[in-house]
Amino acid sequence: MSKEKIAIRVDDLTVAYNYKPVLWDIDLEVPEGVLMAIVGPNGAGKSTLIKSILGIIDPIAGSVAIYGKPYEKQRKLVAYVPQKGSVDWDFPTTALDVVMMGTYGMLGWIKRPGTKEKKASLEALEKVGMLPFKNRQISQLSGGQQQRVFLARALVQDASIYFMDEPFQGVDATTEIAIINILKELRKAGKTVVVVHHDLQTVPEYFDWVTFLNVKKIATGPVRDIFNDDNLTKTYGINYKVAVNK
Amino acid sequence: MDAQLEIQLIATVVAIACAIPGVFLVLRKMALISDAISHSILPGIVIGFFITEDLNSPLLILLAAVTGVITVVLVEAIQKTGLVKEDTAIGLVFPALFSIGVILIAKNANDVHLDVDAVLLGELAFAPFDRLIISGIDVGPKSLWVMGGILLATVGMLFAFFKELKVSTFDAGLSAALGFSPVVLHYGLMTVSSVTVVGAFEAVGAVLVVALMIAPAATAYLLTSDLKKMLVLSVIFGVTSAIAGYWMAHFLDASISGSMTTVLGLVFLTVYLFAPSKGLIAVMYRQKQQRTEVSLLTFLLHLNNHDEESERRVQHLNEHINWQKVRSKTVLDLAQKNNLIAIENDLVTLTSKGKEFTDLALEYIITNKDEKIEHMKDDFFLFRG
Repeated sequence: MSKEKIAIRVDDLTVAYNYKPVLWDIDLEVPEGVLMAIVGPNGAGKSTLIKSILGIIDPIAGSVAIYGKPYEKQRKLVAYVPQKGSVDWDFPTTALDVVMMGTYGMLGWIKRPGTKEKKASLEALEKVGMLPFKNRQISQLSGGQQQRVFLARALVQDASIYFMDEPFQGVDATTEIAIINILKELRKAGKTVVVVHHDLQTVPEYFDWVTFLNVKKIATGPVRDIFNDDNLTKTYGINYKVAVNK
Repeated sequence: MDAQLEIQLIATVVAIACAIPGVFLVLRKMALISDAISHSILPGIVIGFFITEDLNSPLLILLAAVTGVITVVLVEAIQKTGLVKEDTAIGLVFPALFSIGVILIAKNANDVHLDVDAVLLGELAFAPFDRLIISGIDVGPKSLWVMGGILLATVGMLFAFFKELKVSTFDAGLSAALGFSPVVLHYGLMTVSSVTVVGAFEAVGAVLVVALMIAPAATAYLLTSDLKKMLVLSVIFGVTSAIAGYWMAHFLDASISGSMTTVLGLVFLTVYLFAPSKGLIAVMYRQKQQRTEVSLLTFLLHLNNHDEESERRVQHLNEHINWQKVRSKTVLDLAQKNNLIAIENDLVTLTSKGKEFTDLALEYIITNKDEKIEHMKDDFFLFRG
């Protein structure tokens, strides 16, 4: 265990909205190559944690390191899938174009995507089974298809660490399975995947690592060691019982 | 160049320069901000005018643009307190700044060529009188050069930062994560919008410049699902409306800016009614078709569920599914046209295609799996979401 590389390190991270802390003094180490769920009740700061790691929200205290360096220097190692509901799906653009946006980070300012980026985007669409829909306007896609497009956009970034904010929200069962299979493939390829997750029942089946969060960090570690009623109760505040397959 | 041509040229340049930032304002749901900017730049213009005594001076444009950006900052600051919503914040900020401008004019500028009417409504017809003279040579109307410069800068920035503007407009979170600061892009867009409004206000006035920014973009939005096409269409709508408006004013002997805005409104109305997929008529037609298709599905399901003859008689269907004659006939015709049913001696039977259709449609409704009904989307509105 101790020899494992740390992909993400969060130190004393505190985030507040209007002087009300939503994350309080979070210390977190995520080893390389895990598929980790962040679980916690609504308002626990799960999305906020991801967003502050990615520099989208400024913390009032603490620091974040991606492979030992600040995020700003490691952008190219990181891919991000925001909540599906955070964007306007009536935006005039196609599925392919949304995936191409994933290549913008590598290009930097001003440079335009070319054939190489287009080819990579088409491959990513293929991987999530959305190639036939590449020219479809994004509002004409179902919820599950939109989520697949978002996943393809992250895949095209060819990152080492993937952050996903509730990728299973509002998607059909087929899409959920397709997405989790791709995430498991990413882990197999040595990537680190961090997922904000809501469905506690599926945690043991989908993930090998878990972080319990409720404003403070409750626990973090391998699912088989720490995914138990005790931590669930501490996190959700009520006597929580789930069937955990050990 | 004669004055008529010069006016139309200025109108064209103003229309293009307004249409481009307008597209992004509309997509960012910030149309109201352009209204706020167009009013609150007044104190900037007035102070600039006192200093330079020239409405086309770069300093004046700069000062006014700064006021425009201050408007945005103030609106966001008030909104951030969480005490009021954005629309309220806008409603608080721009009248305050605008009124400062009004008082400044009333107190100091009574005897100079700057009055509230001119600021609010503009007068394109006067634009050719103010010439730019370089070492004794008349090179054309000053406002044409000013707006031309602003347009050139806008187009240059659009080409340079198209992908950054697109990603930050669509998904600010991703944009930030990728290192394209949404804040920088936001204020960049606000600066361009402010400068454009300042440049255009003299020609079309502070009120109508909003129409030139928002109406072409809103019209184009109804016609396309491609950002580049939306930009091109906005420019086309802006320019044609501006020219048509000019000639309308010419023949009616009315205000040019008023006529332009009227044409912009009429163009929007026409597209709003007749746009192929998002237009009102298309939407109503689609809803009617969907209703019919739901009826069709109900009907096919009924046939699927009942083998007994008494349930499958044409006359019986009228009474049993409780439809009016016309509706029953429409549904029967639609089903027959698509070979979903066969009618023999007044008895309706589901064909094998009809059976397959019903099963697929049912599965789609239950599971919402899109893949299977993909081929049906062309024929049936029901499956187009």
